[in-house]
Amino acid sequence: MTEFVRLFFNSLQTGSIFALAALGIVLIFRTSRTTNFAQGLIGTFNAYVAAYFLLRFGWNVWLVALIAIFTAFLTGVIIDTLIIRPAAKVNPISKQIVTLGIIMILVGLIPFFFGVQPLLFPSFIPSRFGIDILGATLRYNTVFIIVLSVALMGAMFWFIQYTRWGLATRVTASNETTSKLMGVPTKSVTMVSWATAAILGTLAALFVAPSVSVQPNMMLNVQLSAFFAGTLGGFSTFIGPVVGAYIIAFARNFTSFYISDIWGNVLVYSSILVFLYFKPYGLFGKKPTKKV
Amino acid sequence: MLTILDNFTKRVHGFFQGHVYRNYLLFGAAVMMIPLMHNFGIIGSGTLGIWAYIVIITVVALGLNILLGFSGLISLGTAGFVGAGALGTGVFLNMGLPFELAALLTILIAAAIGALIGFFSLRVEGIYLAIATLFVGEILRQIYTQIEIFGGQMINIGAIRFLGFFTLNANPPSERRFLFVIIVAVMVLMMIAMHHLVHSKTGRALLAMSRSQAAAQAMGVSILSYRLIAFVTATVFATVGGVLYAVYIQNAPTTAWTLDLSLFVIAMVVVGGFKSIYGTFLGAFIIHGIPNLILAELFGDVSYIFSGVLIIVVILFYPYGAIQVFYDVRKWFHKGRLKLTTKRSDRSA
Amino acid sequence: MKTPLLELNQISMTFGGLKAVNDLSFSVFPGEIVGLIGPNGAGKTTVFNCVTQFYKDYEGDVFFDGLKGKVDLRTIKVTDVIDQGLVRTFQNVELIPDLSIMNNLLIGAHKQFKSRLIDHLFNTKKARQEEARLSEKALEILTFLKIDHLKDFYVKGQPYGILKKIEIARTLMSDPKLIILDEPAAGLNDRETDELEALIYQIREKYQTTILLIEHDMGFVMNICDRVCAISFGKFLAMDTPAKIQKNALVQEAYLGKDD
Repeated sequence: MTEFVRLFFNSLQTGSIFALAALGIVLIFRTSRTTNFAQGLIGTFNAYVAAYFLLRFGWNVWLVALIAIFTAFLTGVIIDTLIIRPAAKVNPISKQIVTLGIIMILVGLIPFFFGVQPLLFPSFIPSRFGIDILGATLRYNTVFIIVLSVALMGAMFWFIQYTRWGLATRVTASNETTSKLMGVPTKSVTMVSWATAAILGTLAALFVAPSVSVQPNMMLNVQLSAFFAGTLGGFSTFIGPVVGAYIIAFARNFTSFYISDIWGNVLVYSSILVFLYFKPYGLFGKKPTKKV
Repeated sequence: MLTILDNFTKRVHGFFQGHVYRNYLLFGAAVMMIPLMHNFGIIGSGTLGIWAYIVIITVVALGLNILLGFSGLISLGTAGFVGAGALGTGVFLNMGLPFELAALLTILIAAAIGALIGFFSLRVEGIYLAIATLFVGEILRQIYTQIEIFGGQMINIGAIRFLGFFTLNANPPSERRFLFVIIVAVMVLMMIAMHHLVHSKTGRALLAMSRSQAAAQAMGVSILSYRLIAFVTATVFATVGGVLYAVYIQNAPTTAWTLDLSLFVIAMVVVGGFKSIYGTFLGAFIIHGIPNLILAELFGDVSYIFSGVLIIVVILFYPYGAIQVFYDVRKWFHKGRLKLTTKRSDRSA
Repeated sequence: MKTPLLELNQISMTFGGLKAVNDLSFSVFPGEIVGLIGPNGAGKTTVFNCVTQFYKDYEGDVFFDGLKGKVDLRTIKVTDVIDQGLVRTFQNVELIPDLSIMNNLLIGAHKQFKSRLIDHLFNTKKARQEEARLSEKALEILTFLKIDHLKDFYVKGQPYGILKKIEIARTLMSDPKLIILDEPAAGLNDRETDELEALIYQIREKYQTTILLIEHDMGFVMNICDRVCAISFGKFLAMDTPAKIQKNALVQEAYLGKDD
């Protein structure tokens, strides 16, 4: 039972992290029509920024997190303005490779600015604070990550559903050309999407940083899971990938504990493939219609 | 001057338009000159290794070009199949099978998985299919690193015995150069096979399927058959690349076959040229050769930045691939010639 | 009485509660040029999609007395319909932009190639001979349509009138018994429309084929068709000679609205 409870909270935490990353990927997929392979590395880069300020100047973890969020915003805006917007007319596959180019630039920048050593980064709330539930320790940091992620995502959904900006985002996502003709500021929408996605990725990176430390590969696992979450939930909605993220987190955690680390993953991946065969557009996705 | 220019453009034009075998063979012969340079000490063995990798990965990227350029399909699982080629050959060789049989068995097994993906692609499309192939790649990767027969970190393969009688080892440089010639020969054969394929009924059907599924069906192109053909061919090319890796490097790591490699192979097609065979080689050179041969020497660690910028710049300015550069140069030559001729006729008038 | 070439028997097709085609029956006889007309959204293209088996879940039956005798088309796969001698064009020209015009025609002969993947990989004699033979056939058709000088050009960038011609040329590659044309005159100017009219007659002459077409250009339809079938909201209104269709009260009402 203790293990079960521990796994349950663990999965909620990893699920929240996957969900943040997945939401960033879907946001970009829908507004810029590209699979952003650089999502993980954008987060990593800004996590480096936070870790750097923390180690160099001994600033408080909350303060450096705020700085990282600010630089994430900037990274998003810069990438959109300098790279993505000029590539607007490029076909979708080439655009994906443009994001590979972004990965390489960031991979090159990291040792240039921050050196080649992995950097340590603490949890937001030190791990000694927690409460016992049925024998398992629930850390306040875990609670913090879950609550903050859920609150953030809730706020985002509310924003997308009920504000003018949200409406602009939704219409840009559904048809950019028409939206532009209707006077929707699609350029600003895309820019804000990149900035938001960068912030979401950075938060995810800061949340996993304590366990994997800040290094170029830190987001590999999260990024893959986020893609898988998007596919499982369906890229055509914003809620789908979030649900997918929690499902994948639970499935991976529980199978790797009760079966084995590797075969658990293989089992989860294979089941998702089988699931996709029967629901090719994910849990919440709809089939796009095409007329001949 | 004008006639020289004229002759030159005609030659260049003729080279690319002439008989298909001659062109690919000449191209192969040119690449085979590289070990000769190694022989004379002009380039080091590290450089030879980089060229060998370019040759190997070109074969992989050619297969992906059939998917991406012709069939409008994508695979993020390419790396898994290159790994299958290298590791499979290693496993079968270590079991004591002759090289040819080992390679054949590996290719058949990989082709079967490719066919499964083909079936799958009938129901799942777009980004969902892309990520489904990523699932396949990840499953393969997990298997490689965890199952004992793959030797944990890597399989040592050692010298390869071809046709049961001549053995080549990667170690003495003379034999290594011979191995290089062999992999180039295979690349040229694969290029010729691909050339024939894409200029045949099969190539047309693949294009029809990707450009207008409705028209393809109305003309009798079975989407299932051609999805299968596309994925199986791409898989076979990737696996052959893996086998070549086993042949040249003579060991096979289990951990190298990640999403990054698959993305780089896609980048080669995108940057080199969709649907272009020479373009694919050019892409492999730009993505793997330029960073490792030139940029790494110049900039060291930060060379990644330049490689990234290079990829983005090529895509922005040559959305159909860097092979366009050659067409542009040709056009520019023609234009220059035209201008000069008109000027001359103006004078004479 | 001749036996019909194509026979639609009480066809209905529903999209999410909306009946796009409702209990429609009509027949096309060998050698005829038949027009299918109706106001926008009458379900004309849906009828074509049912006949050519792009939609399989229609009610009713479609019979076709083609190259392989009379068959219930529902039992034929969409990709095998062409083997029966039934071939179509599309409303929004569906060609392969990055192939030459010649190669686009060869796609129309896809089913006539007997060589296999292995022949193609090694470019065997069989593959080469077949390619040469069918290319010759394609060239003949292009010459007949007077666009043979364009054969090696890409489809991309050709004017709309040429695109329409290429699509018709592609149908001819399969020696069809029945050609289904979806709005062949749409987007053409007056001169091109006249040319198309002459061309359709010539095709019927030369290839001994039957033609069923959808068209909004009423002048064109009334000129060219032997008989016209009018539908509205998926329902059959009338089928008769152009002159009689023009006078039909139901058809007038469907197009012009009801007089109160």
